Amino acid sequence: MDLQLSPQHLEFRDQLRSWLSTNMRRPWREELRDPAATEDGLMNFRRAWQKKLYEAGYLGMDWPKEWGGRGAGEVEKSIFEEEMARADAPPILNTLGIGLLGPALIHHGSEDQRRRFIPPMLAGDEIWCQGFSEPGAGSDLAALRTSARIDGDHFVLNGQKIWTTFGPWADWIFVLARTDSKDRYGGISFILTKLDTPGVSVRPLRQITGESEFGEVFFEDARVPRVNLVGQIGEGWRIAMTVLAYERGAMSLAASVRFGRDLEALASACKEYGRTGAAVREKLARLLVENEVMRANGIRTLANFADGKSPGPESSIEKIYWSEFDKRFRDTALDILGPGGQLLRTSPDARHDVDWAREFLWSRAGTIYSGSSEIQRNIISKRVLNLPQDAR
Amino acid sequence: MKFELSDDQALLRSSTRDFLTSEFPLEKSRGVMEHSKEGYDPSEWRRLAEMGYLGLVLPARVGGQGLGAVELAVVLEEMGRMCLPGPFLDVILAASALAAGGKHEALVGEIVAGKKIVTLAHHDAPYAGTAGRALAVTNGRVKGTKYFVPFAASADALVVTGSDGLALVEGPFTVTALSTIDLAQRFGDVAFEHQVTPIGPLALLDRVDRLAAVGASAMLLGIMTRSLEMTLEYVQTRQAFKRPIGAFQALQHRLADMLLKTESTRSAVYRAAWCLDTDDANAALACATAKAYAGDAARLVCGETIQMHGGIGFTWELDVQLFFKRAKTLEQHYGSTEVQLERALAAAGY
Repeated sequence: MDLQLSPQHLEFRDQLRSWLSTNMRRPWREELRDPAATEDGLMNFRRAWQKKLYEAGYLGMDWPKEWGGRGAGEVEKSIFEEEMARADAPPILNTLGIGLLGPALIHHGSEDQRRRFIPPMLAGDEIWCQGFSEPGAGSDLAALRTSARIDGDHFVLNGQKIWTTFGPWADWIFVLARTDSKDRYGGISFILTKLDTPGVSVRPLRQITGESEFGEVFFEDARVPRVNLVGQIGEGWRIAMTVLAYERGAMSLAASVRFGRDLEALASACKEYGRTGAAVREKLARLLVENEVMRANGIRTLANFADGKSPGPESSIEKIYWSEFDKRFRDTALDILGPGGQLLRTSPDARHDVDWAREFLWSRAGTIYSGSSEIQRNIISKRVLNLPQDAR
Repeated sequence: MKFELSDDQALLRSSTRDFLTSEFPLEKSRGVMEHSKEGYDPSEWRRLAEMGYLGLVLPARVGGQGLGAVELAVVLEEMGRMCLPGPFLDVILAASALAAGGKHEALVGEIVAGKKIVTLAHHDAPYAGTAGRALAVTNGRVKGTKYFVPFAASADALVVTGSDGLALVEGPFTVTALSTIDLAQRFGDVAFEHQVTPIGPLALLDRVDRLAAVGASAMLLGIMTRSLEMTLEYVQTRQAFKRPIGAFQALQHRLADMLLKTESTRSAVYRAAWCLDTDDANAALACATAKAYAGDAARLVCGETIQMHGGIGFTWELDVQLFFKRAKTLEQHYGSTEVQLERALAAAGY
């Protein structure tokens, strides 16, 4: 057992740290708080920031160099996420392209597709969104009905996707569509579609926070070239499962760094407001302990990566842990802060350390997206505990 | 970087499991718990010494192996799995305090050899007095009472927390034996009117307290792991409504949460042990975290174990009750959850 980073990983971390301190204008929370910030402006800012990271060689960390990656490993990727969190660096814009589609192309794409799509994905020149969920297919994703009919060299897409993150800002969407209506899993294909294709339209949806980060995407006889099929016809489900495993990937360490910073702000606020009674102290302590356990989970995953082990279905444990903790943390923070915790960042009297109200609302998303907590528990029951197929 | 145990550590785990399975199976331990006065089998105690377990973390100069908290956690996790009764952790903590003081090496040697039982006496009240250090020591004499002293009736000497530091008190003692829900660990109240020899300042206990936190949470980890295993076996066997009850989602999701708590405890315990061994700056916070989390997690896992077993889970006969009770003792001793939460806040500077 050895939980210390190797000398070369430490060197990588130190270089990254100094790169971030030189190249970051200011912490992300300050960008968000800027009275001049608009939703569009922030998206553009993230796009430019992503380009900078790409040019410095920090994106596509574990992807082969021939496709524009750095050719490093999961450990460097994890260190990158942790340092980004530590510095409160702005998030990149193309999280879904790099986080999900990239691995799909590397595992299942053609050589042409990798060369065509990966470099602009990394550079932020083409932003991707994910066309999985539908109004009638969320947790039961295989119930999806968007269809792709083959017509010569094209697919003809009809249907609707929903909760499509970055839909309103994306250039492309990767779509799970039905190429066979009778085969539940084997009738699904994975198709890359340009959002300005005639017959494709995007409508923003207003979220619980008031923002419109996600939207709906409609397909009405949209013609997509067959070369945009990833893998084979009917391989879409298998590819989607690869992708979702990446989406749930190792987040604990970076998450504990972010939560840790906000926790420290909360602890300072408690001192500032004289909230030092036993009831408040216990709440604070329990959050601290739970966050430290998350950090330990993250260190364990990182050490397993360094030891050449990739996480299997146990990554569902990490997903449940951080997302459920997020809700408890934000709820408790508002309890402790009192009514002031609900102030919008633009309001008089709003605190400048953390946008507590927005975080409180956002925390409701994590236990729903990329496989709800209930789906994660199903995965653990079946694939880790080997329990029988469930009866409800 | 590697979370898995080293080859030597893995060997320690497998050999400990084999040793405990053959010499301390739960059927036998249950007999000891229910029928022995001491709460452990003194004739078997020497076996732990012969196998080197008592000196695991003590220096070679007193006959120990000089291993670290990770190795101690490995052994205690295995002892937790077997619900092993006896003063193993208590004796190791007292010996560590004595070794840290550096004044009683001959005694430490006798402890390591299994010839003497020494434990820590630090509770100044039976209720709500978890970390009191109020006992007065004047002119080399101690007068007063310590409560909930582990295995007091078997102790040859006690390490006592007093007003001016840690002191060693030699027996015999006047002990009022206590009976608690947990038969695997015996306690007694000790009325002192004894000569003492100083060991050192109370600060010597800082590291011992961390070792206690790691050790107790490692035992809790073993208890949870075994409880979850027993529950998984049961839900796949027990039939209701014409199917194994493990097929019901109402149980599956709770079993998934039991695994989450158990594995998260594993991450926290071994990280804390590693931090302690490497004098990592996060050691204080990591140790407090492991113990505070493990106590809560074990309560949930052992409680769900009873619930999922149904009526049989509430019986004396079934072993799950032993783990449930053991978990409660470990949660409240070795720095209760409340104490650990305070330590965590202090370590974080909150």
